[in-house]
Amino acid sequence: MASSKQKNMTPQQRKYQQLQQKHEIKRPVLKNCLKAFFVGGIICVIGQAISYFYIYFFDFTEQSVGNPTVATMVFLSMLMTGFGIYDRLGQFAGAGSAVPVTGFGNAVISAAIEHRTEGFVLGVGGNMFKLAGSVILFGVFSAFVVALVKTLLVIWGVL
Amino acid sequence: MEQRDGNQMKAIHRWILFTCLLILSSCNQTQQVKDSQLALMKTTNPSPIVTEKNKDKSYVKEIEQDVSAFPELYDVSVVKGKKDTLVVYKVKHLHRFKMKKIEKGINKMLEKRYPDENFTISSDYKIFLETVRLDERMKNGNYTHQTAEKRFNEIVKMTKDLK
Repeated sequence: MASSKQKNMTPQQRKYQQLQQKHEIKRPVLKNCLKAFFVGGIICVIGQAISYFYIYFFDFTEQSVGNPTVATMVFLSMLMTGFGIYDRLGQFAGAGSAVPVTGFGNAVISAAIEHRTEGFVLGVGGNMFKLAGSVILFGVFSAFVVALVKTLLVIWGVL
Repeated sequence: MEQRDGNQMKAIHRWILFTCLLILSSCNQTQQVKDSQLALMKTTNPSPIVTEKNKDKSYVKEIEQDVSAFPELYDVSVVKGKKDTLVVYKVKHLHRFKMKKIEKGINKMLEKRYPDENFTISSDYKIFLETVRLDERMKNGNYTHQTAEKRFNEIVKMTKDLK
């Protein structure tokens, strides 16, 4: 907590805070990081396997294989969210399951499931991108900024 | 509730065990593995290919040796068609950040040493896989020199689509 806030506290509040800190269960940060690392890594290995599958059996090159791979991974995570498997994985792995692109599918479908009682249009349609909307917005915006920087560097002859 | 969770965990463990056994048993087959089946994952070093009939391979071998001399590369395939010569290579993992620089270097070297050749260069895994497949099909006798030339042109077109 910020020191300015601590200064404004009454002695009673400070005492309570000390008591709370004493009894607070410490978060197993290292364990959580390891879980996230391994589960996230396994998701990426599956993604790599899917991309090799498309390269091997279809006419996709290394550059064009990204699109079908991402689509497949998102679709699979959407199905798994629908069946309730991805939620359990999320509880276990935390960021390991949320950071890869599969977390995007999970965010879309879990919001849709949550609001399905409010109707298809205003419930599902209106809230489907409640969580994933920010991902799309910042993804598109950052892609625009990166493209702009690259274009300028190419024009100036740096790249 | 706890018992239900315990049963679910047991079921998950059984599934994991079953999947591991399935994967291990699939690896234990005595079937001969083709180079193209593992070309995306391991070094295959395919022999240089010439699609034209009765043409000497030593010239293409020389090109392959020159390209293999680059320390950043670990697997090189060279295919010579009637008009074009395709050079495909795999870049070592930590050098993949400098792909464009490596491509430029190879292009420069090839143009300097073989000014009469028309080179097409690629580091794409798909193109590499297709050259390994072409080599296998030619060795098995599945491809005549004409069909090999046709397939070669298709592969070259694929590299042009990438740019």
